[in-house]
Amino acid sequence: MKRCFTIVLLIAFALVANMSLVSADDAWWAEAAAPYAGSTIRGVSESTPPSNYVADVLAAQFTELTGIHVEFETTSWDQMYSKAINDMEANTGIYDFVYIEQDIIYSYLAQDYLVNLTQFAADNAALAAADYDESAFTSFADYFKNADGDLFGVPMEAFVKVYLYRKDLFEDADIMAAFEAEYGYPLAPAETFEQYADNAMFFTAYGESMDMDLWGTTVQGSTGHPASTYEFLESIGPSFGLYNWGINLDAGSAQSANGGALDGETAVEALSFWLSMLPYAPPEATSSTWDEVASSFAAGRAAQGWVYGENAAWIATDESRSAVTGNVGVRLPVTAPGVIEAAQMGEGYIGYYDGGAFGIPHSSRNKEATLLWLQFIGQPSVQAEWAAVGARITHTATFDDPLIAEQDAKVDGYYTLLEEQGPLFAGAPPFPFHAQVREIIDPFIQRAILGELTPAEALSQAAMAVDEELARLGYGM
Amino acid sequence: MRNPRVGWALLSPTLVILLIFGFAPFLYVLFVGFNQWNVFSAADGLVFNGLDNFRRLVFDDDFLHSVGLTARFAIFAIGSEVVLGFVLAQMLTRDFPGRSLFRIIHTFPLMVAPIAVGAIWRLLVIPGFGPVPFFLDRWLDLTYQIGTYPDQALMTSVLMDIWHWTPFVTLTMLAGLSSIPREPVEQAKVDGANRLQVFWYVTLPFLRPVLLTTIFIRIMDAIRTVDEVWMLAGGGPGTRFTGIYIWRVVFPRTDYGYGSSISLITLYLTIVLCWLLFIAISGRRKGEVE
Amino acid sequence: MSRTQRQRAWGYFGAYAFWIFMTLLTLIPIWWMLVVSMRTRVELFGRPNLMLSRIYLENYSNVLTDSTFQRYMTNSLVVSTANALLVMILALLATYALSRYKLAGRDNIFFWLITNRMAPPAAFLLPLYIMFTRTFRIGNWTLFDTQLGLILLYCVFNLPFAIWLLKGVVDGIPIELDDAAMIDGAGLWGVLRHVIIPLAAPGLAVTGILSWIFAWNEYLFAANLTSVVARTITTALAEFVTVTGTNWGELAAMSMVTLVPSAIIVIFAQRYIVMGLTFGAVKE
Repeated sequence: MKRCFTIVLLIAFALVANMSLVSADDAWWAEAAAPYAGSTIRGVSESTPPSNYVADVLAAQFTELTGIHVEFETTSWDQMYSKAINDMEANTGIYDFVYIEQDIIYSYLAQDYLVNLTQFAADNAALAAADYDESAFTSFADYFKNADGDLFGVPMEAFVKVYLYRKDLFEDADIMAAFEAEYGYPLAPAETFEQYADNAMFFTAYGESMDMDLWGTTVQGSTGHPASTYEFLESIGPSFGLYNWGINLDAGSAQSANGGALDGETAVEALSFWLSMLPYAPPEATSSTWDEVASSFAAGRAAQGWVYGENAAWIATDESRSAVTGNVGVRLPVTAPGVIEAAQMGEGYIGYYDGGAFGIPHSSRNKEATLLWLQFIGQPSVQAEWAAVGARITHTATFDDPLIAEQDAKVDGYYTLLEEQGPLFAGAPPFPFHAQVREIIDPFIQRAILGELTPAEALSQAAMAVDEELARLGYGM
Repeated sequence: MRNPRVGWALLSPTLVILLIFGFAPFLYVLFVGFNQWNVFSAADGLVFNGLDNFRRLVFDDDFLHSVGLTARFAIFAIGSEVVLGFVLAQMLTRDFPGRSLFRIIHTFPLMVAPIAVGAIWRLLVIPGFGPVPFFLDRWLDLTYQIGTYPDQALMTSVLMDIWHWTPFVTLTMLAGLSSIPREPVEQAKVDGANRLQVFWYVTLPFLRPVLLTTIFIRIMDAIRTVDEVWMLAGGGPGTRFTGIYIWRVVFPRTDYGYGSSISLITLYLTIVLCWLLFIAISGRRKGEVE
Repeated sequence: MSRTQRQRAWGYFGAYAFWIFMTLLTLIPIWWMLVVSMRTRVELFGRPNLMLSRIYLENYSNVLTDSTFQRYMTNSLVVSTANALLVMILALLATYALSRYKLAGRDNIFFWLITNRMAPPAAFLLPLYIMFTRTFRIGNWTLFDTQLGLILLYCVFNLPFAIWLLKGVVDGIPIELDDAAMIDGAGLWGVLRHVIIPLAAPGLAVTGILSWIFAWNEYLFAANLTSVVARTITTALAEFVTVTGTNWGELAAMSMVTLVPSAIIVIFAQRYIVMGLTFGAVKE
């Protein structure tokens, strides 16, 4: 009788595995979840393709397996933050799991909002799924750990900002000849900032002469959104060698005089370069946040640019949204001399390793059921399809999946780049005051974009303002 | 004959709801406003700091700048709305073929949610897909980029506000005009008053309470404006109005103490402004009745 | 005689020219919303075309077939309608009290009412959040994420507005009419039913429409004080703005759809305003 049952189970497993659903031990899930079956766990996240996949597909699978209901609230970026923080700060326990964008994790840890997942799983051995393994994650998971290496969030999406260029333009014989005639060297995807600037100038002039809506670069320069500060501090700055926003946490200062670097030469050089690209960017650049930069590029309005990787996949493949499918080239972002080498030696980074994870707030009243859920979405077996839908990869093993390999070819090796060069990128600086200080810097970057302040003025005023805020927050000198 | 107790009874449900959902949160904000409290500071919880927040506010250039911007926004927008709304309402009281059609069409903007209004105006004015900058450039050779020119961003929000809220003024004016009895108007005409005199001495005094209410509501809402402008320009240069500034201090900066004190001052300024208006207009009315 | 005729003709012409001009200005943004709602995401960029190139309805079908959208729509309808009705009833009673009874501190109360609408909402979200999740808690039930919570909360900005608007209208109704009704033996409810409500009907209708619209369009409170169950349609609009691209087409489609219920309400309520206008003429 018992053997018969086992065989049936085995067949069921085989079927399930074939259907590429959940290959794990179904019975284990049902058994572990038995005490919590019928309960409901609630979470909040930003409404992005990876989140929507979790809400629509994974949540249903999980409920079927365990009988635990998952109520998933997807909302806008601002709302997601304010609701999660209100909930955790007021200790109301509305959410059992919250989306943690990588850059806010250190703020949450400093306030002790989150459950130590490593510890919690160890304390509740009955809940530890065999298929879930913290070491299976890419280096991105390192940016959700505390000093002891314990994990506080299960990574659910991860990407880096890459250099995208239009292959059809860069490989066009006439254009190549024209470029070489003008600049004296062959046209190629940029590897130095001088080359980047030449490309930008050339394509802007080319667009004008051909009466095309084409410009030489993108700039994520919205003057009404933190996106501009992020592009400068997290992408352009590091590629010039400006790390950690130029803030020296030990000294509690951003000013060079006190050990900071926000008003230093490197920072000024980086900001000057970035702003000098504005005339070669499409006119919407000063209103563009991350998604609008991607849309501009997808519309064929820029020949090259800095674009977040989560967009690379749809820009390269989705014809309903992009006019440049099949023509997208992907490279590492341009860096100043020595920056890559420093990053390889672990003394810096070339850009921001962005993404998010799900964590459990201490205020949750269903921590056990939620732990099961987070392990469920952290299993290797659910990753590939999710990655194909959301262009996000958090497990090293996912890179080898045939589904991803197939996509990789279409996206000009974005996933390979992420796999091989991912460690050159780093998470946000470990500040317990992320959004607070970024908000202080925003207006200065915006005024520099408008030309009201020179780069040097903007940065020196920003550094002073940051120091004031640090002092107010209790992290200053 | 009229027992005040009955009056209080009629008023009580309103008072109860407003005390719970309006006044109680106000007390909380009042309390927090006198404390230093940033959720993500090194210190734990609230620290009483007396008037420090208010002292800081006086020297906060961003705040003062936002007040100036809000004032310009409110004056331009509300001035235009009241004049335009009154003209439209006056014209709608006359009978002419197609009147109800026009009235319905002119109520449309009001029905669009502020979030959607902001989105649709963004779609109109952002270069790349917006027709406005495209045709301005093609026909008049004008550069129009709300991200680059703060004045353009401000004027765009003013125009958007006029588009969105003029119907509101028209509707309230219609309600006001509908309650004016015909008798005095006819009497004035018999007495030989011209149109302007009828308007000034008969219509306007009757309309005054509704006009006052309308201006009040518009002032308050303009000062609190967040959603539309947020969607349109994100509250960048030229559109960083006080409502949006408060929102940024309270939310991404999580500086609840300082945010509360700015809210209090803004509320206080609004009340003073409205009180003066209230006195000015209702005082004059009393004078006339006597 | 021919001169006055010509004048009248020019007057008509001028008036119609004015109306058509204003109508165009009013409709262009809405027209653009319609155009955007019928474009694919690729077509949005490039040289703007003000005309509808084809009827493309996928954005609409995506929005309308979404089950969460249907729930949001129901929530919005319930919340706005219940709030508008509640506001109309409470405001009428309060206005009558303020207009006809000598209450101590009447003017101050009247002014205090409106200050409730003046508060900049951002800083008030936290206390309201605490109130909704902690203060009003019975067992597992909280006011947070309920339709009831929003219905009551929206009174904070709708009630003062309604009372202020109605005050002018009720004050304009001669008190002698009340007295006459009372002499005829009408009680308080009789006076309200037979004198005040009929005479204040157009004002009441406008108040109702505007309260309904304010509630229907509210975003900030709805976004922060609901989670899954009681979310309203405006919060859904904000969801389209995402890190990987704003879905303008669906956003515009949903905006167009949300116009429909408001339009129906307004067209329906317009009758009362018209009635009121003609009524005013007969009133004498």
